Amino acid sequence: MFFRFVSQSIRRSPRRKAMTVAAVAMGTAVATAMLGVMLDIGDRVNRELRSLGANLMVTPKARSLPVEIGGISYRPVSSQDYIPEDQVRKIKSTFWQLNITGFSPSLMAVASLGGRNVPVEGVWFRRRFRGADGSTLEAGLRTLNGAWKVDGHWVDDGARNDSALDLMVGGAVARRLGLKPGGTLQLFGQRFNVSGIISTGGEEEDRVFVRLEVLQRLVNRRNQVDAVQVGALTKPEDEFARKDPAKMTPREYDRWYCTPYVSSIAHQIEEVLPMAVARPIWRVADSEGKVLDKIRGLMLLITLAALASAGLTVWSVMATTVIERRGEIAIMQATGAGNGLVAALFSTEVALEAAAGGLIGSWVGLLLAEWVGRAVFHTSLEIPAMLGPVVVGAAVLAAVAGAAQPLRRALLLEPAVVLRGGE
Amino acid sequence: MFWNFVLRAVQFRKRRLALAFVALAVSATLATALFSVYSDIERKMRVQFRGFGANMVIAPGGVERTVPLAAVALAEKQGAVAAPFIYTVGRVEGEPVVVAGTDFRRSGPLTNYWRVAGARAPGPGECLVGSNVAAHFRLKLAQKLELEGAPCTLRGIVSSGGAEDAQVILPFDAAAQLAGLPEGGNGVASLVQVRADGERLASIQAALAKQLPGADVRLLHAVAETEGNVVLKLRSTLFLLTALILAITTLCVSTNFSALVLERSKEIGILKAIGAAERKIAALFLSESLILGLASTAAGYGVGLLLAWWIGRQIFPESAAAGVGVNYGVFLPVTGVTLAIATAATLAAAARIWRIKPAVTLRGE
Repeated sequence: MFFRFVSQSIRRSPRRKAMTVAAVAMGTAVATAMLGVMLDIGDRVNRELRSLGANLMVTPKARSLPVEIGGISYRPVSSQDYIPEDQVRKIKSTFWQLNITGFSPSLMAVASLGGRNVPVEGVWFRRRFRGADGSTLEAGLRTLNGAWKVDGHWVDDGARNDSALDLMVGGAVARRLGLKPGGTLQLFGQRFNVSGIISTGGEEEDRVFVRLEVLQRLVNRRNQVDAVQVGALTKPEDEFARKDPAKMTPREYDRWYCTPYVSSIAHQIEEVLPMAVARPIWRVADSEGKVLDKIRGLMLLITLAALASAGLTVWSVMATTVIERRGEIAIMQATGAGNGLVAALFSTEVALEAAAGGLIGSWVGLLLAEWVGRAVFHTSLEIPAMLGPVVVGAAVLAAVAGAAQPLRRALLLEPAVVLRGGE
Repeated sequence: MFWNFVLRAVQFRKRRLALAFVALAVSATLATALFSVYSDIERKMRVQFRGFGANMVIAPGGVERTVPLAAVALAEKQGAVAAPFIYTVGRVEGEPVVVAGTDFRRSGPLTNYWRVAGARAPGPGECLVGSNVAAHFRLKLAQKLELEGAPCTLRGIVSSGGAEDAQVILPFDAAAQLAGLPEGGNGVASLVQVRADGERLASIQAALAKQLPGADVRLLHAVAETEGNVVLKLRSTLFLLTALILAITTLCVSTNFSALVLERSKEIGILKAIGAAERKIAALFLSESLILGLASTAAGYGVGLLLAWWIGRQIFPESAAAGVGVNYGVFLPVTGVTLAIATAATLAAAARIWRIKPAVTLRGE
């Protein structure tokens, strides 16, 4: 009887029910779309910010101060400190390896070009190697700085080859020496082919880039690198991150260690490379944290506003339907239905409608969030699977809450008064 | 008579209209707040990117080894922030150290990311040192640094993760003197860093390149493009979400207005039975909807501005002086959209007025 009542009520006035369901669906769609975008936008923007380049610098523990201006060392080369090249890939076996999006080892030397000293940097352009778990990983200048503009093409150094004489030059060097992609350049008494010209605007413009293994052979520093730049997805620093790890309680230390703060990632790199120091490049790390914080906060507040209005919409729709059906309630009461039964009937109906609207709405909302992700970031967003069910649940709650108050009022009224058409 | 009718309709159906009013006001609130936030998000986000420091450098071009100091004034004339830097090698306790010189007053806004223990802008006879230098020579604040040729008092220790960590940083003139340039320098620097507004970056670069033919004026692509990219993406996300929310809420509102007409078939029947023209009845409903629409837009506009103000104050407290994201100009679009929707929805539903047969409706079928 109870269920027949509910199902008949829904079947008898499909138009009105459709409107209610549609209203709930719209509210839910807004909520789902906003939440879906908000939950993932931080991650997306974080990846965009990686085009700034490295946010961590790993250098050998030095006994002496580096004396370098624009990549040219003014200290006579003696017992140089270095990081062994074959250890560098360990950076990808730290706790936060998945957050490390790229790293690039380099070795510096100086050559005389056109009567002037020019820094020559030996690098991995894009090197593939096998990670600890057997997967193939990529590292090098190109993976770290995917957005660099190159005239010509990148040196392809997927495999080691210390006799391949191709190089890339920075834009300022190319302009000064009149170099073009496809030309040649005399360096360390060898003839190199210029495969591309790199324009970044930064100090890379004044440099020449050759394969790491070639430079190691030419300056006789086999298996040595001077620096490793690392790009990592990090969590913006907060009060907690600024604490000194040495003064933390073991519990705090665990929490710090297991959060991808730039400082804890640096600490973990130092653990696997004991001969090196890893330091955040604050110019990048600090500012990207601030930008991320702003975007996350903004999206959170807008989402809260949208959620509140979606909730209000659902609530007001349900309140309206109950007010409209006061006559029905009065008839039920007049024919002897108890208040509890009437309340149960109506809440079931409202909950069913809200669930139907919520399901449609959250499905549409997920599609919309997905669409925004594709339109703006050209990848699909990672939306937690729980989002749909949670939103549907919230819609049902908002609907029942909206119906409750007018229902209570209607039940308290004398059926005779309502049926006579008065207040 | 006509207005009497409209006013009474509002008076007698208070509860029903209150609900429609709330629904519409909520969507107007959301529209106002989102429009407001959207309209100056670009400016606000670009301010955040100032933390990245310079987005342009003026470096020696071609055979030159220095940049004329006049470049600083030229860049400032274009409305950009610019600071000269000069580099040389000095000696402390017989060991070589890189010495940098800059005009601290000008470079301040470009070096926000420096973490400095002590003062950021030392005066004449004072200096900053990088954290590595401080550790290497075991230096402490207020100590005398025995830099050959330019001894100075240590005022701050800089840590940036970049080249500054291994430098001694002096006021520009002191470093220029140490570099062997005559008193007051002869008007040259090693490098000029420039920070220009993202939107005008390209035009400022072109202008400076023309005025300084001997120099290499270049954009720091990573900073400039990341800024452009992130700002653009955030803006388009907000735009799409705003459009989406508006589309959905207006749909919701339009069903609300249709319902206002549809649920009153009986009234329409009576009006028709006593001889009212359909056109007049439609006008009646329309003016009712417009009054409701206007009232709720006004309310929504007020609340929406408050919301935008609150969001602005929460997220961008530092730009509090500049109006905190409240944009009064959104009133017209919001009102326009709301009233257009109200009119369209009411008219669509009003088509029924012509089809209603008084006899049938009043008999209760």
